[in-house]
Amino acid sequence: MFQKRMVVLWIAVWAVLCLAPAAQAAMPAGFDDNEIRIGQWGPQTGPAAPWGSVARGSKLLFDIVNEEGGIHGRKIKYFIRDDMYNPAQTVAVVKELVERQGVFAFVGGVGSATGMAVRDYLAAKKIAWIGPAAADKDFAFPLNPYLFASYPLYKDEGSILAKYIVEKLKMKKIGILYQNDAYGKDGLEGVKERLATYKMDLVAEIPVEPTEKDMASQVLRLKTAGAETVILYVMPTAAVITMKTAANVGFKPHWVASNTLSDYPLMFKITGGLWEGVITGALAETPDSKSPLMIKYREAAKRLAPEERWGVFYYAGIVFADPIVEALKKVGRNLSTEALLKALNSTKDHQTLGPKVNWTEKQHQGTDSVMIHKCGPNASYIMLQDWTTNDMATWKK
Amino acid sequence: MVEGLAIGACYGLFATAVVIIYKTSEVVNFAQGEMAMFSSFVAFHILSAYQYPFWLAFVITMLFSILLGILIEFLFLRPAKHPSILGMIVITLGAEMFLMGLASWKWGAEQKFFSLPLNPSVTYEPVKGMIITNWAIAVFAVTACIMLFLYIFFKFTRLGVAMRATQQNKHAAKIMGIRTERIFSFAWGFSSLIGAVAGMFFASRATLDPAFMMEPFLRAFAAAVLGGLMSIPGVIIGGALMGLIENFFGYFWPHWKPIIAFIVIILVLCLRPSGLFTKHYVKKV
Repeated sequence: MFQKRMVVLWIAVWAVLCLAPAAQAAMPAGFDDNEIRIGQWGPQTGPAAPWGSVARGSKLLFDIVNEEGGIHGRKIKYFIRDDMYNPAQTVAVVKELVERQGVFAFVGGVGSATGMAVRDYLAAKKIAWIGPAAADKDFAFPLNPYLFASYPLYKDEGSILAKYIVEKLKMKKIGILYQNDAYGKDGLEGVKERLATYKMDLVAEIPVEPTEKDMASQVLRLKTAGAETVILYVMPTAAVITMKTAANVGFKPHWVASNTLSDYPLMFKITGGLWEGVITGALAETPDSKSPLMIKYREAAKRLAPEERWGVFYYAGIVFADPIVEALKKVGRNLSTEALLKALNSTKDHQTLGPKVNWTEKQHQGTDSVMIHKCGPNASYIMLQDWTTNDMATWKK
Repeated sequence: MVEGLAIGACYGLFATAVVIIYKTSEVVNFAQGEMAMFSSFVAFHILSAYQYPFWLAFVITMLFSILLGILIEFLFLRPAKHPSILGMIVITLGAEMFLMGLASWKWGAEQKFFSLPLNPSVTYEPVKGMIITNWAIAVFAVTACIMLFLYIFFKFTRLGVAMRATQQNKHAAKIMGIRTERIFSFAWGFSSLIGAVAGMFFASRATLDPAFMMEPFLRAFAAAVLGGLMSIPGVIIGGALMGLIENFFGYFWPHWKPIIAFIVIILVLCLRPSGLFTKHYVKKV
């Protein structure tokens, strides 16, 4: 009997000894005296891999920060994990980063569905997530104290583009081809809301499934509706098929597209040059901009990441990650998640290569502004309109 | 309508590749799309890296695609010991993932521009409102040639008859002196070649990336089921029907376009399980 009790006692003691450090190791602090651990997920392989450059663009910013001595004596240790644009994979890599690597905060993260898969988990773990690389209303509404969005909503962009089409291009017959999901529908909503103020309606509004490989009937419908301008809220492949099909049937409207299609060198190449003349929304300055910050980052990229193409999605990674660097500088040496949140909540008119970002304790959608660019000859960028806010953004009121 | 027929013919052409393998070994080859994708990437590579003229690149790609088909059969399916049909299908799924991973590694996931030597600005309008593109003409011509070849091949050549015999009874065919393993290699090589032709048509219409054949494969498979997995003319007609139905709905009710073809297929399977153009037969066990 005594022996049995001793065995039970030993097991209990060992369990306490083994589990105590394990419990500590389960949630590392996220930083120490020398480093702050920051993570990002993104598709480095798989069908969405072209957008994987966002995560690598953020790396450039952190490399520059580290090269300049870090933030208050701490270097940034940055982790990129490939989720292949698969929400199940995103959950796995985020859990690994949080529970094994002890990440302090996340930046960027391409994709709405992937982000939504980990949004509540990160909030439950009280880990800040700054600048999701997708415009999903559900990121900032209802307010999530740990999530700070800086991507202009597609609804705001749609509204700004529609205003430009009517007031600057003087077009009256507008059609839209939109992806049949939150991305396309938000863009459609913004366009319709704006057109209603001019007492106008779309001549054709046509949904497209993301996997669609044949656009003949949709293009014909736009053509017979007499659309002078067609707005595209679709994926790059669908845009290419649409442009090629339209060229085949001699349909030549003004094409206007979402910022997701603003990588002109890529779009120009895969459409065989048909992308020239297309107008798009833009969430950052043009790649050849002469602004001092753009020059600084462009030159740094040549030195630190010579293998990378200086494309919009690459330096968008800087746009999404920069606010955390500013906030960490503001916090000082006494770092904590609460201090970081406080600094982020006092972000006012912060601007690097993207739009001005404002966050308060009550508002975590940081911007409603986009630029408008046009694809010129040989995939060059022409700036048509500087940062424009959406005067109809209902979420601001 | 013509575009709908042309895209349908393209589905039909690709479905023919699926049917050739199915006819000889009763296996649905889920790697068919990725085999076509890989061959299209080889054509792209020859054109962009070596700057060869298109027709030379085309011939090399065709030879490569035959080799690829034979290799997949030899390396993936042949080593399986007494596999069930389900086991074979799982093996083809493995081959699909392998090819997709290999293409992503070699050429990256970014979309590529691929074009055929057809001037897109040249179109014909025999009747007002009926526009025929060069692409559509090429699809019709190639599909017709391949169909004619297949008809002659299966009807009048020793190899074609041997293939049909292997499909009907593998063991009897073996007893009669047919080297069934060679027949399988030939079927895979030939199917891969037809798939590569269809793949290049699809790539020139959209973009080239490692995942670009997933959707066309599903549609082609649906066309094959619609026409009947055993009938080559059936799958071509099935494909054309699908293209027409899809584009008709795409024009009038765009919301229905992606699902209408599958609704039709479910209906066909309920009414004629063997497809529209094959005889229903019961296998005795």
